[in-house]
Amino acid sequence: MAKVLIPTPLRQYAGKQDSVDLAGKTVAEVLNSLTSQYADLRRHLYNDEGKLRSFVNVYVNDDDIRYLEKEATPLKDSDVVSIVPSIAGGSAGVAAPPATLSKEEILRYSRHLIMPEVGMEGQLKLKNAKVALIGTGGLGAPLGMYLAAAGIGRIGLVDFDVVDFTNLQRQVIHGTKDVGRKKLDSAADTMLDINPFIEIDRHETALSSENALQILRDYDIVVDGTDNFPTRYLVNDACVLLGKPNVYGSIFRFEGQATVFAYEGGPCYRCLYPEPPPPGLVPSCAEGGVLGILPGTVGLIQATETVKLILGIGEPLVGRLLLYDALAMRFRELKLRRNPECPVCGDHPTIHELIDYQQFCGIPNQPHEPAPVEGDIEPTEVKAKMDRGDEFVLIDVREPHEYQICSIPNAKLIPLGDLPKRVNELNSADEIVAHCKSGMRSAKAVEFLKQSGFRKVRNMKGGILAWSDKVDPTVPKY
Amino acid sequence: MIRIEKPAWDTMVSHAEKTFPKECCGVMLGSTGVVREAVPLPNAYTGPQEDFFVMDPHDLNRVDAQARNNGLEIVGIFHSHPDCDAYFSRRDLENSCSWFSYVVLSVKSGRFDHANSYRPDFDQKDAPKEELIYG
Repeated sequence: MAKVLIPTPLRQYAGKQDSVDLAGKTVAEVLNSLTSQYADLRRHLYNDEGKLRSFVNVYVNDDDIRYLEKEATPLKDSDVVSIVPSIAGGSAGVAAPPATLSKEEILRYSRHLIMPEVGMEGQLKLKNAKVALIGTGGLGAPLGMYLAAAGIGRIGLVDFDVVDFTNLQRQVIHGTKDVGRKKLDSAADTMLDINPFIEIDRHETALSSENALQILRDYDIVVDGTDNFPTRYLVNDACVLLGKPNVYGSIFRFEGQATVFAYEGGPCYRCLYPEPPPPGLVPSCAEGGVLGILPGTVGLIQATETVKLILGIGEPLVGRLLLYDALAMRFRELKLRRNPECPVCGDHPTIHELIDYQQFCGIPNQPHEPAPVEGDIEPTEVKAKMDRGDEFVLIDVREPHEYQICSIPNAKLIPLGDLPKRVNELNSADEIVAHCKSGMRSAKAVEFLKQSGFRKVRNMKGGILAWSDKVDPTVPKY
Repeated sequence: MIRIEKPAWDTMVSHAEKTFPKECCGVMLGSTGVVREAVPLPNAYTGPQEDFFVMDPHDLNRVDAQARNNGLEIVGIFHSHPDCDAYFSRRDLENSCSWFSYVVLSVKSGRFDHANSYRPDFDQKDAPKEELIYG
């Protein structure tokens, strides 16, 4: 006879007894005999398929039968069998799925509900979905607004930036009144104004190798609205490691791209671009500009794919890179395949954890205040030279359309790209100062001129933006 | 309905606040619908405890034996949700046991904020709220 201890909450189903002595050679036999004697106990211990419920652990003396022979564990007469529930849980930032929509929500989502492809079932899927949105800028703006409107129940925003005037030409989630506010707060306000029935998690941080897995772990789908290579690789790798789809979009000037990476069996960003471009080769939107409407189009393609993935309808943009050319107003598609050799999603991956993506992309570690380069000159010093009437040539290496926005008096315009063929317009005996918008291109110009034998060339630090800050505030910044 | 007597409630709140920003857990003893005693237990989860807890089955077994000797029974489980609301999360549901009431205490910035009690079903599919009276 083995003794079975009845857990106190179940005593009421076992004739109020603390323990029952039962005959049986194995755990299965004893439990079977227990539940035939006390039929009410059965449903507390077994599911409809006759298996022990997932929360029921059985111990023989001090040992969990899972580590013995499970239910076939043999019993001796003196053995004590205990039934112990397994207890665990945790907030994990997720509320349990709501089973219904309120009356107000039904009214709000009526145009979804009357389509059989969405319906009540689909709308509840949207409500129970958790989407992480990295960035609330150009792509993040339309994404955030439409995902909120569609009724995605939980949206996690990741951003650490502040709204500025140059954002407003495309980041329609922020308004003029929001300039200077945290993008996170401004975006959340707009989204909750559109739809107060959703929840928003605010992650005020730059996504990094240290926090990415922890932040993204709790979401079903990750939407990448960032505009730099380190973060794209980081988001990609984190999605592959976590097994979550990465809805990707990118924009530049008049062209955009979109696809879904890291979806079951599909390719990832590294399958498309195994290596990042050398730093500085691909200009960012801040450097190259972007048509303000473009991120609207691309962001809404991402939003559409996100909603389709959640609903499980249509043909997801997996294995296809959608290319959009706004000037030609044409869409094209490139086929993408998962690379079996891919270091992160391939058959024999070599990357099992997040790496240093700044380093991977060849970006030196955060030199906030770059060391003064020999040959740099402050805008104030340039102004002083002008006022003193010093002999020197100021060249502006920006593009003609930038020169039209603003310029410094008497500066000679020679765009960086034209410098090699127009270098003969300069005299190496003259003292030369070069400037651009922020100092990057003019540094390259100085480098080029030095290699061409010029000695007396200097780079105006911070470009015309610094000139506006330090010398002449009437010069507009762009 | 579940009613938690004051000494037991005070133990639960103090355990939840002391364990902040990690999740605390413990067992509530009493008889049907009434909690007379709360027993704090260590969170046995080996990963980050800010949003997850696990009870050691040995601890639970020990408390069950103790309850039995005092003529009480385990009527429920309590745990805290640091810096978020006292909802019944998907994780809570997936790990729940239908034998018990689950009291969730929301602790915000280290102070008790609010609490709810839930009664999970057999299949871990749903956990309706039940009326909670404390203090």
